[in-house]
Amino acid sequence: MSDDYPSLLRSEQMSLVQLFVPTEVAHDTVAELGELGNVQFKDLNPNVNPFQRSFVGEIRRIDEMSRRVRFFSTQIEQEKDVVPIRPLYDSAPLITVGPRAAQTMDELDGVLAAHEQRLTQMNESYQKLGERTKELIEARHVLRETAVFFDKAQDHQTDIRTSYDDSAAPLLQHDDRENQYSAGTGAQFDLEFVAGTIERVRVPTFERVLWRVLRGNLYMNHTDIVEPFVDPVTGAETRKNVFIIFAHGDALLTKIRKVAESMGATLYPIDANADKRSESLREVEGRLEDLQNVLYNTGSSRRTELIKVGENLRSWQDVVRKEKLIYETLNLFNYDVRRKTLIAEGWVPTRDITTIQLALRHATEESGTSVPPILHELRTHKTPPTFNRTNKFTEGFQTIMDSYGVASYQEVNPGLFAVITFPFLFAVMFGDIGHGFIIFVAALYMILAERKLARTDLGEIVGQFFYGRYIILLMGLFSIYTGLMYNDIFSKSLHIWHSAWDFPGNGTDNKIVGVDNGHRYPFGLDPGWHGADNNLVFVNSYKMKMSVVLGVIHMTFALCLQLPNHLKFKRPIDVYANFIPQMIFLQSIFGYLVVCILYKWSVDWSKASTQPPSLLNMLISMFLSPGKVDPSEQLYAGQPFVQVVLLLLAAICVPWLLITKPYLAWKDMHKIKEQGYVSIAGNGDGNGIHRDSSDYVLEGEEEGNGGAIAEAGDEEEHEEHDFGEVVIHQVIHTIEFCLGCISHTASYLRLWALSLAHAQLSEVLWTMTLEAWLEPTGVFEWIVLIVMGVFWFGLTVFILCLMEGLSAFLHALRLHWVEANSKHFEGGGHAFTPLTFADPDFKD
Amino acid sequence: MEALLFNVDSGFLEGTVRGYKAGILTQSHYTNLTQCESLEDFRTQLSATDYGNFLANESLPISTATIADKATQILVDQFKYLRNNAVEPLSKFLDYVTYAYMIDNVILLITGTLHERDTHELIERCHPLGIFESMPALCVASNVEELYQSVLVETPLAPYFRDCLSASDLDDLNIEIIRNTVYKAYLEDFYAFCGSLSGPTADVMQRILSFEADRRTVNITINSFNTELSKEERAKLFPAIGRLFPEGNNQLAKADEIDQVRLVCENVGEYRQFFADTGSSTNGPGDEDSGVLSQLEDRFFQTEVHLNKMAFLQQFQYGVFYAYMKLKEQEIRNITWIAECIAQNAKDRIQDFIPIF
Repeated sequence: MSDDYPSLLRSEQMSLVQLFVPTEVAHDTVAELGELGNVQFKDLNPNVNPFQRSFVGEIRRIDEMSRRVRFFSTQIEQEKDVVPIRPLYDSAPLITVGPRAAQTMDELDGVLAAHEQRLTQMNESYQKLGERTKELIEARHVLRETAVFFDKAQDHQTDIRTSYDDSAAPLLQHDDRENQYSAGTGAQFDLEFVAGTIERVRVPTFERVLWRVLRGNLYMNHTDIVEPFVDPVTGAETRKNVFIIFAHGDALLTKIRKVAESMGATLYPIDANADKRSESLREVEGRLEDLQNVLYNTGSSRRTELIKVGENLRSWQDVVRKEKLIYETLNLFNYDVRRKTLIAEGWVPTRDITTIQLALRHATEESGTSVPPILHELRTHKTPPTFNRTNKFTEGFQTIMDSYGVASYQEVNPGLFAVITFPFLFAVMFGDIGHGFIIFVAALYMILAERKLARTDLGEIVGQFFYGRYIILLMGLFSIYTGLMYNDIFSKSLHIWHSAWDFPGNGTDNKIVGVDNGHRYPFGLDPGWHGADNNLVFVNSYKMKMSVVLGVIHMTFALCLQLPNHLKFKRPIDVYANFIPQMIFLQSIFGYLVVCILYKWSVDWSKASTQPPSLLNMLISMFLSPGKVDPSEQLYAGQPFVQVVLLLLAAICVPWLLITKPYLAWKDMHKIKEQGYVSIAGNGDGNGIHRDSSDYVLEGEEEGNGGAIAEAGDEEEHEEHDFGEVVIHQVIHTIEFCLGCISHTASYLRLWALSLAHAQLSEVLWTMTLEAWLEPTGVFEWIVLIVMGVFWFGLTVFILCLMEGLSAFLHALRLHWVEANSKHFEGGGHAFTPLTFADPDFKD
Repeated sequence: MEALLFNVDSGFLEGTVRGYKAGILTQSHYTNLTQCESLEDFRTQLSATDYGNFLANESLPISTATIADKATQILVDQFKYLRNNAVEPLSKFLDYVTYAYMIDNVILLITGTLHERDTHELIERCHPLGIFESMPALCVASNVEELYQSVLVETPLAPYFRDCLSASDLDDLNIEIIRNTVYKAYLEDFYAFCGSLSGPTADVMQRILSFEADRRTVNITINSFNTELSKEERAKLFPAIGRLFPEGNNQLAKADEIDQVRLVCENVGEYRQFFADTGSSTNGPGDEDSGVLSQLEDRFFQTEVHLNKMAFLQQFQYGVFYAYMKLKEQEIRNITWIAECIAQNAKDRIQDFIPIF
């Protein structure tokens, strides 16, 4: 019934096709099919190692190219100033199909290699220069710090001299270190030293090791270099210290040097003479200046190179990605050297075969040869993949259902119905005109700005909302509708028509009783209930019954969706053994409850002779004391008899559901055995699949490519319809359904609970923030009103629309996945994953 | 008892390490790897395993050394992850595992310095797990006393070195003696530590460590034939644990030729097959011996792999961590071997690796 026009009711009809592609056009054909994006290729050589396949050489080359492209993009990312990258839609496309394709790829390869070489060269020289600069900077630091140090030493020396001259105080008064120190300086620096820089983290170890090496006679001084050194390539920061160590004797000095070098320190030759030191400092500074100039120039030319790369980077990335996909696909093909053709097999939507054929012809023309690829359909028993053609409107709804499970091939697709039921059940829980309007407007904005938003990267969370914009739109619309039904707008009520209740205000009593004035409020809840004392009692009872009614309708509907499946797949047994008993069971208990609810609503209890009965008690006593109804609480005449009949019907359905299907399966098996058939493989299913598949192999061999198809025959998947399995499955199914009916009906009460919570929360918010300030008199009150208004609006959006909305969304999701899908959904399919160049992760 | 409380502290890490173990290459992976024609094939093939794209960003002529380095780096990262998440006593246990690498590094540096190699080059060749802060300073020392006093005294290895301070000069023989003494001390200490952990850890680890000790004993014995090492000194190098200890060790200390070693080994059931089919043809001692030795080495490795695999059969013990490290090391050796064979086009010897699973 859906053969002419794609519909969401069932997944697309698929065909297994075989393609014979001449080698010359193979690349272009796959490129064309990839652009088209509706062929799912099968791996025809699953037993071949990845590197033994036909197009490994090409893939390796592409890998090398993509490594280069990755190298460029990391280089660009690491650059501190942002290098502009031209987006893909702005770049000129690189044509990699047609007769000049090979040449283009060669050129691209060359260009990439050249860029890489240039860039690495520049990096190297930049790094080398950077290191030299670093060394010079370090040298400068060492010179400066040691100068400070020597200057201090000089001062000390004079101090000591004077003190020695003036009073004969012994040197021992000074502490040990100073002692050594003065001895050194006193001898005009004949005490030698080692100076250099070392990483700050290593200083303690360094000191410790030296202390031990020098047997405790360590005189070391070190200071921090304030600014960190940045590695030009990795961008990592290191902090260093300047140190100077004094020692005496060549052996010790070599030892210190050796330790220092092995610990990663850099040593600088420093002269003890102050003049020479300042001279070398000048020299270092001069060289440093020169170097920094060179470094700057190198840096800027490197940047120019990167900018040049940035202009083409996106299109290179695109080409490399596509080419890799193409060759990986080509590797799935069976390669026939003798006939110079590639054989491909894959699933396509039957409807698209013509388009594909056109594409194939187009590819032939593009590549400039005259041998077109040949496509023909294969007969198969394999289950095709499930492919639901969606558009941007249905996509979101379909995704909701697909994330529960991919539907079996050609099964009734619950995604179609979710388009309406999902927003509706959401709205039952979210009903409020105001809140509905807010999310409607938000969704509308996202839809109107769709093109612009689709191009920007929205981030994970906003992206999710954007993806579901059409769901949100419908959710908003339906919420406005249910809001009208509940007569709720930001917890206030709309008073559009004449209320049915008058409140004669006589003022004497605290309680004013409404008087029916004969009007009927035509649509939704009467605003007269708003603010009434028994408002909550009324609304509770109303919403609770409504959610049971909606729930039973939803479940009945979901149950009915079994029927088209059974008819389509020609399983009449399932209609008699599953669908009918299930339907009777559901209707005789909960369908009856719904009828009672509706009947009770239609009776004017103020004029009736009996009290209005409690329906919950009625349902419970229907099980506990069948056939007995208290006459004072009787809903209608003949109620006991009807209830007994319904109960019996439900009771019969359980064994019916439990036994029929296994019995029929057993009889079937028995019949086959009696007729003398014995299964070859020993699995007594005898439904002819084996014979068919061997036919299939024969047919394939006639066409001269037995190898490829024989494999296909081997992986034939069909369930083993073992008798024991049927029994167990049916037992589970029965228990699940019967218990499920009760718990699922109760589960729909969440509609009531959430809707109530939502209404109460919005009312609380209103009274707590805005209500007290609604009649401002002075400036202060006005200010408070505005502040409170903003506060109220913010909370309305974030708590009531976002959080409550998400919670209602989740509950609606659960009602679909668990309560509805369990009634009919098989979900044993695998999704159709065609070769396509459109990459969802690949955004500009 | 372990079943009750083990998972409180170490359950996550044991799960992690068992997950890592699932990534160890299997026989079919090796079959695929040995069929590679070039190192690029090799890379493609490895990218289908748990190694993933670890070589993807290497520019093309890949060297065997790069492959080994990168593979080791993966192992080191995994080990560091385990170590950083471990608490006592597992953290101590994992530290013990690193001590072996530290000993190797120390010996490597001393030997290198002795032969006047460049220090930085030596440090690069050190195993990353055995690197400690003051390690580079080792190259300053010219005798053991100095070595100990200046560097090792603050490392956890200090107690192991305490025993060999008597050896004064650093020469090749002395270094070898130091290595073995230190390793002996390490093994005994580790053995005692595992014993203190009791329960299944002690069972599993002591089995593995006993084998390790026996292997060293046998190796020392064989390598000391026809050298200037006296028999008393040799006896001092034997670890005082293992299944050959004590009477096997005593006999080995007096052994003069390989047949005597075989006789000793045959006293232990599991070691009997080490010399199994070599004994029949011992007519020419020269070439034959080296053949026996390389075969012996292979068999040692096989037994080690077997024991380490057995360690995974038992739950709630630390042996798995040790065993994983050893198995992974063996795997890296295998990969490197295969890569080397491919690079040098020596296909006939490509099968000489030791499969793990």
